[in-house]
Amino acid sequence: MVDVNKRIDVDYMARTEGEAAIRIELEDQPAIVLKIFEPPRFFEGFLAGRRFDEVGDIVSRICGICPVSHMSTAILAIEKAMQIRVSEQTGILRNLMCSSQIAASHLIHLYMLAMPDYYGKNSITELLPDFQKQTDRLIKMKEILNGLTGLIGGRALHPVTFLPGGFTKIPEQKDFDKILKQFKEIQKDAKEVVLDISRFKVPDFYFKTEYVCLDKKDGYAIDEGRIISDDGLNISVDDYYDHFEESEVDYAFAKRSRIKGRNYFMVGALARINLKYDKLQTETKKMAKEIGFAVPNYNPYLNNLAQSLEVFDLIQHCIKILETNKFKHEDYSVKIKEGDGGAMTEAPRGLLYHWYKIDSKGIVAKANIITPTSHNFLNIEESLKKMVKENLNKPRNDIRLMAEMLVRAYDPCFSCSVH
Amino acid sequence: MGAVDITYCQMLQSGGIEEGPFDVALIEGAITEEWQAEQLKKVRSVSKFLVPIGSCAVCGGIPAIKNTSKKAKEMEQKVYKDISNLTSLETRPIDQIVKVDGYVKGCPMGERDLTELVISLLLNKQPDFLEYCVCVECKLKNNICVLVAYNEPCMGPVTNAGCNALCPSNNRACYSCWGPIRDSNAKALANQFTKMKLSSDDIFRKFTEFGQPTKEFEAGVK
Ligand code: SF4
Ligand code: SF4
Repeated sequence: MVDVNKRIDVDYMARTEGEAAIRIELEDQPAIVLKIFEPPRFFEGFLAGRRFDEVGDIVSRICGICPVSHMSTAILAIEKAMQIRVSEQTGILRNLMCSSQIAASHLIHLYMLAMPDYYGKNSITELLPDFQKQTDRLIKMKEILNGLTGLIGGRALHPVTFLPGGFTKIPEQKDFDKILKQFKEIQKDAKEVVLDISRFKVPDFYFKTEYVCLDKKDGYAIDEGRIISDDGLNISVDDYYDHFEESEVDYAFAKRSRIKGRNYFMVGALARINLKYDKLQTETKKMAKEIGFAVPNYNPYLNNLAQSLEVFDLIQHCIKILETNKFKHEDYSVKIKEGDGGAMTEAPRGLLYHWYKIDSKGIVAKANIITPTSHNFLNIEESLKKMVKENLNKPRNDIRLMAEMLVRAYDPCFSCSVH
Repeated sequence: MGAVDITYCQMLQSGGIEEGPFDVALIEGAITEEWQAEQLKKVRSVSKFLVPIGSCAVCGGIPAIKNTSKKAKEMEQKVYKDISNLTSLETRPIDQIVKVDGYVKGCPMGERDLTELVISLLLNKQPDFLEYCVCVECKLKNNICVLVAYNEPCMGPVTNAGCNALCPSNNRACYSCWGPIRDSNAKALANQFTKMKLSSDDIFRKFTEFGQPTKEFEAGVK
């Protein structure tokens, strides 16, 4: 018999993307179920039969927060499959779009989804008028960050200029100059973001996991590189299937990923900052020191703080790129070629993998998509278990809130995870 | 407390009043499960106005591509090995299940139409949604027509305006993310595509990327 007093049910995880519930059994060995009931849309099923140059437009609709991540990962995979080489400029422009999108996505999560918990509120509107300054900052920064994604992509959500082979239109230099000026203006706001988030009273919690992210020789890898971990993984994206496996669970429409022969692992901002701390901008490292954040750090609640540092870092990064590059119109035509290929990028929430098989007519024969939240699924459950176990003596409501906060800290996207 | 209060939106706030009543219900997403249809009917019964927002809710959008698969089970099996607990139905837009009081079109939905809707409801007037095709926006912007000039298979003639002809303004053919315009002549455009040497599969894909469940685009694939 299940004792209902020993159970906590969060029937609907509010302030996250998509639909999920949590069930916690308050036993000495707590049982956790992350029930992702977001209904499946079958993207991988219906992508078969579509043309290679439709895929970017289609998969961007997997998510309204990280459409650029899905689009770039899919397009990189298709280019790999069809052996299309793109110019250096195309790579730089895509990197700018990914970077600005990650920063914008982090800001939404930090202020609108995470922050209310830390002040005992239900929503950002309840934080007003006390948090007017922060809200204004969020709106201003988000507009400028989206401004860059949209300048290059035609629009920030579901960009239209972005195709296999390159960009259909390159913005004018004066528009890049204008956005550069705006980016410089929000540098000090970005500092305030880090300070805002550093004021969160985060539960003291330690959860040793394996951090996994993309890494490259120079710079903070976002849309290229090898897969590395702090447990010795160092592989090419081409060997992804040799090392990672997904399985179905009966209580969720999302699949759960693990590293073969090992166990749970964590992707996302905290994983990236832990593994690539050296590659952050000097100013970011200074900022991290100032707020007393050091790596290695194994408190998943601090994923929020890692996100804020990334916001700061990526803005610096975009400024440097915009200051040192001029862009011109280029040919983006491609030749259809049969083949298959996979690619990986760092979406805001962590590693995102797309794989396609394209036939000789340019039609998708097979597709596979594995999202950050599938990568984090098991880690979320295992860290919840440990957290609950350590807090069994606390009132139910406290446990419930701490559990919600922990899940939220991962910034999960349940809609992406089901797709 | 302002002119507009959000009483229930799980994406933005914990808690809220799930059971209503609502002055206005804005519905996002297409319907693919029976429980969603039931929930939608409940929301309709406690709302004065109900408006689908965004292409999925308005015309099925991208998730409705799955309706094109003749063998639903096979398609599902491409995603899951075990499909025994799936209860997914054909993708339907909101107006195939309940009565709606307008449409905020677009993917992402158009801000102009959303603002128009909210202001109209506050002023108790009839909202003035854009009801013409993307071509009109092209003409207003003096765009070069990518269909006529570059032989690009543009869906602009049958697609609802609202994006300010974004794709043609960026040297690209429209792929109809705003969904079909009412009374569009999809048949004529499909004939034009045939003349341009598009295969019937290509034409089929054009008219099923956004708006598979609509009768407007059905005319294009026939
Ligand atoms: S480019 Fe497309 S939308 Fe614009 S006028 Fe031509 S057909 Fe119409
Ligand atoms: S031109 Fe067509 S595809 Fe492009 S944004 Fe407008 S409606 Fe969408």
